[in-house]
Amino acid sequence: MALDLLKRLLFFAILLVAQALVLNHIHLFNCATPLLYVYLVLLFPRNFPKWAILLWSFALGLCVDSFTNTPGVAAGSMTLIGALQPYIFEPFIPRDSAEDLEPGMRTLGVTSFVYYTIIMVLIYCLAYFTLETFNFFNWIQWLMSIGGSTILTVVLILVIENIRRG
Amino acid sequence: MHNLLEFLAKYHHWFLFVVLEVVSFVLLFKYNSYQGSVWFSSANVVAGKLYEWDSAVESFFSLTKVNQELTTRNVYLERQVEQLNNQLTALTENPDAAKAGQLQMLNDYKLIPAKVVHNAITGQDNLITIDKGEADGVRKDMGVACGNGIVGIVYMTSSHYSVIIPVLNKNSNISVSIAKRGYFGYLHWQGGSSRIAYVDDIPRHAHFRLYDKVVTSGYSSVFPPGVMVGKILHVYNSADGLSYRLEVELSTDFGLLRDVCVIDDAIMKQRLELLRAAQDSLKTKEH
Repeated sequence: MALDLLKRLLFFAILLVAQALVLNHIHLFNCATPLLYVYLVLLFPRNFPKWAILLWSFALGLCVDSFTNTPGVAAGSMTLIGALQPYIFEPFIPRDSAEDLEPGMRTLGVTSFVYYTIIMVLIYCLAYFTLETFNFFNWIQWLMSIGGSTILTVVLILVIENIRRG
Repeated sequence: MHNLLEFLAKYHHWFLFVVLEVVSFVLLFKYNSYQGSVWFSSANVVAGKLYEWDSAVESFFSLTKVNQELTTRNVYLERQVEQLNNQLTALTENPDAAKAGQLQMLNDYKLIPAKVVHNAITGQDNLITIDKGEADGVRKDMGVACGNGIVGIVYMTSSHYSVIIPVLNKNSNISVSIAKRGYFGYLHWQGGSSRIAYVDDIPRHAHFRLYDKVVTSGYSSVFPPGVMVGKILHVYNSADGLSYRLEVELSTDFGLLRDVCVIDDAIMKQRLELLRAAQDSLKTKEH
């Protein structure tokens, strides 16, 4: 249990540093930014306590916010997908699987994992960019940011997941 | 009572969800007015330190270009000073008095050199973090400039870091004027390119040429007069047709920003206080 916590904490730190120092500087076509830290929420196993998921996602959101000077934007969106994660994960669980099944390409199969990732990241990007453009609304920019960032994030997560599996 | 407790126990995670969302939204909407939130910005110690290391690594790769730029600028300024000095001595009988006056003027401004540790230019509301804070004498609303021109205004300070609202921010609003012609307006940025900003409220009767220099006016009491802003690229009519709107190419390259100076201007502050006192006394007369 303690080892699990430590591992998750390390993953948390790596995602945070990668986001702050590398990924936040990427703006492909002025719209697509990879928001890799969603990965933390994706990987909570089945029957993981819901309050813990919420606290983990809120904390990571707040930390990411500190680096981008946008308090509340990532924190609010992360809390949202943190709350939805158990319910979105539920339909993808194969029959007769372990009680503490961890989402991943190996456990869910490639197709299911891809769908699961796309749904989660899309909801996240929708919430994130809606909150971010609260005072300055530009339809085209908003849609482009959501689309571009979703695609880039999903691709990045799938690539990393593939390497982890291999 | 028992039922209530059971209900709470069963759905406790939803309550937590609501609490966390409320916290997020409070942060989101209070950020602009609530100075305490400096802890959740890049001016806090951990984020500041991390960005400092990051920019130290990055600076190794950009130093050559920055150095080159500074040297060119330095040579240009030295030549300008020499020229002006020659003019001044030619015009005044007593060269020593003129020199003393110049030194006096320089003493009014205290410059605090600082390094940029974090900088964004791609968003709508960009902010810059520098490695000097209250402990070094940086206060809110001080002006910030670099070798090539203006950068922005200090917005939040912690003890060792500060966050600056640069020109490249929708909320930035700096009083500027056209050099040597005196007409003044307000500098705004509209997003998009990091080299282009706009000056609004230039009167219709103003005379100026394309490629004229735009400098700070000194009216805003944040910047001393004459700090370089950029040069005029285009002239448009304003939306209501009552004034001109100038497209300005900024002289500061925000993408390469490394070394900046915070302008600590005690004299300015006195002038601002005097102006406020004058306005207040006018108000009391009206009543």
